[in-house]
Amino acid sequence: MEEKEMSKFVTQQAYIDGKIRALSKMIPQLKIIHKDAESLVTTINHISESSEKISGKIRELDTAREKVEECQKRVSDLIDLELCSQGVQKAIYDEDYEQGAALVHRFLSIDQSVVKQTASDFEKVAGVLKSVRTLQDAASQLREIVKHKFGDAVKTQDLHSIERFFKIFPLIGMHEEGITDFCQYLCTKLEDAAQKNLQTALNTPAGDKRYPVIYADTLTLLYEGVARMVNVHQPLIETYYGPGKLIAAVNILQKECDNQTRRIMSEFCKTRNINKKMTQINEISRMSSSSSFSKLEKIDPKDLDVLIGEMTLMHSKIELYIKFVKSKITTDLDVGISDLDERSKNIDKLEQLIKNSQVSQSKHELLGYYLRMEQYYMEESITKAVNLDTAEQGQHTSSMVDDTFFIIRKCIRRSISSGSLDGICAIINNACRVLESDFCNILRSKLKQGYPSGYLDLTQAYNVLQSSIQQGRLQPGDTEVARTAFVVALNNADSCTYYVDALCDRVMLEIEQAMPTMKENDRGKLESCLSGLSSVTATLKDVIEYGLQQLRASAIKPRVHPWIDSFMSINHEMTEDELSAYDAGETFVQTLIMNLESLLAPFKEVLTPSNYDSLVGVVTNEVITRFEKIVFKTTFNRLGGLVLDKEVRSLAGYLTTSTSWSLRDKFARLTQIATVLNLEKVSEISDYWGDHDGALMWRLTPSELRNVMALRIDFKIEDIRRLKL
Amino acid sequence: MDDYKFLFKVVLVGNAGVGKTCLVRRFTQGLFPPGQGATIGVDFMIKTVEVEGEKVKLQIWDTAGQERFRSITQSYYRSAHALILVYDISCQPTFDCLPDWLREIEEYASSKVLRILVGNKIDRDDREIPTHVGEDFAARHNMYFLETSAKEADNVEKLFMQIAEDLMEQARSKDLPRYDTSTANIDSRTSTIGDSSCCGKLI
Ligand SMILES: Nc1nc2c(ncn2[C@@H]2O[C@H](COP(=O)(O)OP(=O)(O)OP(=O)(O)O)[C@@H](O)[C@H]2O)c(=O)[nH]1
Ligand SMILES: [Mg+2]
Repeated sequence: MEEKEMSKFVTQQAYIDGKIRALSKMIPQLKIIHKDAESLVTTINHISESSEKISGKIRELDTAREKVEECQKRVSDLIDLELCSQGVQKAIYDEDYEQGAALVHRFLSIDQSVVKQTASDFEKVAGVLKSVRTLQDAASQLREIVKHKFGDAVKTQDLHSIERFFKIFPLIGMHEEGITDFCQYLCTKLEDAAQKNLQTALNTPAGDKRYPVIYADTLTLLYEGVARMVNVHQPLIETYYGPGKLIAAVNILQKECDNQTRRIMSEFCKTRNINKKMTQINEISRMSSSSSFSKLEKIDPKDLDVLIGEMTLMHSKIELYIKFVKSKITTDLDVGISDLDERSKNIDKLEQLIKNSQVSQSKHELLGYYLRMEQYYMEESITKAVNLDTAEQGQHTSSMVDDTFFIIRKCIRRSISSGSLDGICAIINNACRVLESDFCNILRSKLKQGYPSGYLDLTQAYNVLQSSIQQGRLQPGDTEVARTAFVVALNNADSCTYYVDALCDRVMLEIEQAMPTMKENDRGKLESCLSGLSSVTATLKDVIEYGLQQLRASAIKPRVHPWIDSFMSINHEMTEDELSAYDAGETFVQTLIMNLESLLAPFKEVLTPSNYDSLVGVVTNEVITRFEKIVFKTTFNRLGGLVLDKEVRSLAGYLTTSTSWSLRDKFARLTQIATVLNLEKVSEISDYWGDHDGALMWRLTPSELRNVMALRIDFKIEDIRRLKL
Repeated sequence: MDDYKFLFKVVLVGNAGVGKTCLVRRFTQGLFPPGQGATIGVDFMIKTVEVEGEKVKLQIWDTAGQERFRSITQSYYRSAHALILVYDISCQPTFDCLPDWLREIEEYASSKVLRILVGNKIDRDDREIPTHVGEDFAARHNMYFLETSAKEADNVEKLFMQIAEDLMEQARSKDLPRYDTSTANIDSRTSTIGDSSCCGKLI
């Protein structure tokens, strides 16, 4: 075993020795590798170092290149400077102002500080300073020349030169002067044209078709002229002066536009006698408000009609012009000025420009005159319509309703055409006042006269009247006239409610069409004013109610009461025979219905449907209240109760079918009273009273119910008392 | 939907520059506008306040003081529930014009309109109208009186709240049906919008 191992070991030794030898041979090689690795590390370090150096170099190169470029620019600037300074004198000498201006423009575009810097950096380039000086001199020389030449061109109306120098101004840094001078020139053109137009207007013969609106025409020409100018020159200004400059131009044009507007307005006031009319109108309204009859010469509203029309036209033209200016400049600012702060500053400037302009002043003045005259026109025309009121036969209403609403609509329409929301609102407010106070008061005072009830039945009166008129014997008497006046007033009030509703709807629609871009706040204003107008219907309903009460007192109550009271003269403790006899004759309710029919029938023809319905309502109330009272003064037996029940039902049937709305509810109490009186026996009430399906919705209190039952002579008091209700 | 129970119209009048617009903006927006320009025609603002747990909508009409707008502004007097007449305590002429304003109110407004005299700008130290002079004037003409500063927010809230409370009380005390039930429900949601005849029936 051991031997075996031993021999194995021996054989292995040789192998191991070999390995060791091989390994020891490798050692020098490893050393070399180690050295190599070390040198590699050094190399890499070197490389990284040098690459850093390189990028530093590149950076340096960049800076150097920039410097070179700057230098080149400076050199080119300097060369240009040199060239410019050389060329500019020649250009000026040659009167080649475009060239001169272009050179100055080039000079101005060179950073002056850099030029100076360069000059001091290279002392030897002394010529630089000289060039700068030359150019500066040339620039101011050129400025003077251009300004002067422009002035000359304007004087000689040399359009070509005007345009030529207008374009040169901005090149030599004279933006402001350029716009000012040019616009001032435009102003002179505006003035000339406006003067001519005004003269033509003043010379227009009174018979001319345009005479009534000649000042509106003249204003239109003026504003169209300005607008055309703005439209034509805006692209020029934008091209040569840059965007955002329109406001400066309009600022100057506006001054002339203001002057001309003032002129036209003053001629307008003079020719159209505005001041005198205003004084007169104010005087008249002061007098009438202190309610003394004035000896003042009144102005016929018709005479104001045309003038008012002209004023609204003038106002709308001014409004249009202001809108134009606003939108033109705003667009120009939006495009031209990107800085928001700067832009909003300019927008403020625009607001101020418009607010402080004579055009705005004139607009307000005009609106003031217009509103005052329109108010007068409305009031006086309506007064006239009321005074000339006529009632056509066969018509429910009289002419004043139609006429009044025609006038109001006309005035509101006219205000819409003025284009002023404040104006529209004021006219709506005025219309509201006229209707609610003046107009309703007239109706009310007519109703206050009352409805005279003569000794004749109305039917008879009508018959007499008809035949008499037909035979030409009789003029309608005082009573008939008064009755007709009353009925017509009541109908007028009713139809006015429809007119008011229709007016409000229509006006809202028309305004929305005329001013599609109304601001939220303006809409609120308008809606509030319109809601005031529509609430006139409430006042009208008051008037109607007042009229109906008048009618009730004079025509209904005195007649209805005796008819109902006759119920008491009928015995309601009947035997079967008496009942048959009663039924065979003309019963109470038949007579009553016939009487009511005769009371209502004539009204049905003369009242508006809605008024007639209201009247039936009033009559019904009167009948029911009285009837209930009378029933409590009567005693019944079973058959008497039966009769009452039948009669109440047919009365309710009759009155309910007389109107378009149901009156059944009004009859509920009376019907229930009749039901109770028609009971077989006391205990039967439990079929109707209580918490079960057949029970009624009672309008009688338990104690009222007991009182009703007590009217039945055959019901025992103890039984009634014992009822559990 | 607005859910207000009462709607009242309040109209401010008085000379140009006394601070009407500033008062309104202080109340409705809580600010004192720098460089407030003159009002053109009439401005319209709304603020809903709460009085005794009820929503009250105040419709405030801020009129221009300049003469040339008179024909616009006058047309709003009639439907006003309350009229605030403002003067500037540091400017005698604005106080001297009060009788003219009253005449105008007399002529155009409802006789029952709630009238309030307001002396504004009490923050200024160049006062020309002593408080008692304003007070006397108001008393003689049957008006409420209050001195305010729109700039310092003095008494502004109080002014409008007082008006809202007063008008609500008036509206409640006459809250009896005006017409029979068929018409009453038209008005039941909001009590009287621009219904001047309700003014006529106040008190
Ligand atoms: N010191 C001070 N200045 C005020 C006060 N209220 C208003 N002002 C100033 O008074 C000037 C006029 O204020 P507005 O509110 O425009 O006056 P207004 O009554 O609305 O004027 P119109 O619209 O032209 O009728 C503005 O310059 C305000 O800054 C105030 O309480 N104190
Ligand atoms: Mg104001």
